[in-house]
Amino acid sequence: MKQPLVVGGPLGVARLNGRGVRHPPLPVPSPAASPAAADVPEPAIVVRGLHKSYGATDVLRGIDFEVHTNEVFGFLGPNGAGKTTTIEILEGYRQRSAGDVVVLGADPGHPSRAWRRRIGLVLQECELDPLLTVRETLSLFSSFYASPRPVDETVALVGLAGERNARVRTLSGGQKRRLDVAVALVGDPELLFLDEPTTGFDPSARRSAWNMIEGLRSLGKTIFLTTHYMDEAQHLSDRVAILRGGRIVAIGSPAELAEGGGQTVISFRLPPGVGIDAVRANVGGQLDVSGAQVSLRAADAQRALYELTSWAERERVELSGLEARRPGLEDVFLELTGDGHD
Amino acid sequence: MTDVQLALTQARYGLLTAFRTPRTVVFGIAFPVVMLVLFDSIFTSGSDTVRFAGGTLTADAYFTAGIAAYSIGLSSFTTLAIGLTNQRETGQLKRLRGTPMPAWTFVAAQLLRSAALALLTTAALMAIGVIAFGVDVSAEHAIGLVVYLALGIAVFAALGIAVTVFTPTVDSASAVGPFAVVMLSFISGVFIPVDQLPHWLESVGKVFPLYHLADGLQTSLLTGGGSTGLSAANVTVLALWGLAGFMIATRRFRWEPQAARG
Repeated sequence: MKQPLVVGGPLGVARLNGRGVRHPPLPVPSPAASPAAADVPEPAIVVRGLHKSYGATDVLRGIDFEVHTNEVFGFLGPNGAGKTTTIEILEGYRQRSAGDVVVLGADPGHPSRAWRRRIGLVLQECELDPLLTVRETLSLFSSFYASPRPVDETVALVGLAGERNARVRTLSGGQKRRLDVAVALVGDPELLFLDEPTTGFDPSARRSAWNMIEGLRSLGKTIFLTTHYMDEAQHLSDRVAILRGGRIVAIGSPAELAEGGGQTVISFRLPPGVGIDAVRANVGGQLDVSGAQVSLRAADAQRALYELTSWAERERVELSGLEARRPGLEDVFLELTGDGHD
Repeated sequence: MTDVQLALTQARYGLLTAFRTPRTVVFGIAFPVVMLVLFDSIFTSGSDTVRFAGGTLTADAYFTAGIAAYSIGLSSFTTLAIGLTNQRETGQLKRLRGTPMPAWTFVAAQLLRSAALALLTTAALMAIGVIAFGVDVSAEHAIGLVVYLALGIAVFAALGIAVTVFTPTVDSASAVGPFAVVMLSFISGVFIPVDQLPHWLESVGKVFPLYHLADGLQTSLLTGGGSTGLSAANVTVLALWGLAGFMIATRRFRWEPQAARG
């Protein structure tokens, strides 16, 4: 089933129009619906026209997306965009105001015990009993599930074998977060919600977390990931959705989103005493200034570079740190969620 | 694993945590034991007696039963109020809610853990009373003791769960939990025999469940007459408080942190 996509927005990427879109009926799981349906696996998550308001405040203003089975789906957006509200609706913690949501074939608004057995959650700001050991914690949580994963195997999977008899309160922040992931995995779920799983990690801990998440994907899990780190989303996600002001403003693979604009990012530093206006007067393209750091987005990179460097040569201005690169997910994210949008 | 086994597993881990928490061990178990030894050693001589509604009891036996009631208040009400508020505010309950764990096994595990701690402490108190102070605890007292112990644990646990509705932070639970039990102990015939209380203060004490739990346990220790020590007034007041706690707990209990979050 095709999403109602509006292709060819300002960045040329697939954009969803949150308002005024007629939503197709939900693909309610019914085996007899069509003969071809048997070949295509049911999406793990289907969201159509999801609205949520708290009193008079609209937090989600009609969002649509699907998460395919065995996909890593990155859900991105600035603080306050509605990420946590969305994830908590999908997890069965919040009731939606309007729209249709199907998670693993069921409505998360009425979470059943059988449904809970099939999902694993890594939440923000949820601690574990500090007085139990790593092994005890996982044994306790595994007792909630019908066919849990072996405890010692799960401990090893998240790299905590050396700490299995340590009390939770003695673990470092990164070790605690890995135990969070182990607790989410011990029930051997099909679908994992990872809400900012690497916040507060140092770079090497983040790398090993990435390896772990890639390992989960190869185990056949479907992963719904939120993160503030665009390199993480780009590295791990098969597809990402970018949320802003309660609407999805872009959805697609990181490569599609980054290259959809066809724009090249040229960045450099201006020496002291040289105003940005001089650049603006001589070079075409969109300029963003942050301190002395300037980034220039241009569709025609060759021409922009020529204009920029010939102006600099004429005026004897030194452009330190000059580089031209293909835009990454971070550039798209900043473009779509930066100032001036709300 | 059946759900009953699950509740037992959760209770076992709850006890493990309890014994690793100095507060539970010191205030819930050691404190009542030390108090009983002090009260029966310092404030009474072997021939002292206390007159109360049920009859006349030796002071040693009176304090043994009273402090048993006090320890049930601590191990059920206070420990649950602080422990559950802490688990809620640190997100532990929210996480549990996201698992297939049924809510009832969690509540049952809390009750079982409170009961185990209360029985352990009460058994220690009774043993000290019998061995060191010659308190008469025998088979004829068993029915009353068992009924009041079970009722007391259930009522105070229900109230301990209910009070978390009114304690948004661990600090508030840590203030309310112990304060309520200690204050009531002064007017419920636990620290001070009821025959030494002004009449109006005893009337205030009678409104609350601790008075009736202490009175029930004390009446159960009376010798002779073949009475079970069960009184309609004690059982009724305890049951009403338990029902109120149960209603509030089932209607208003929250699994998610209540303090404002970003």
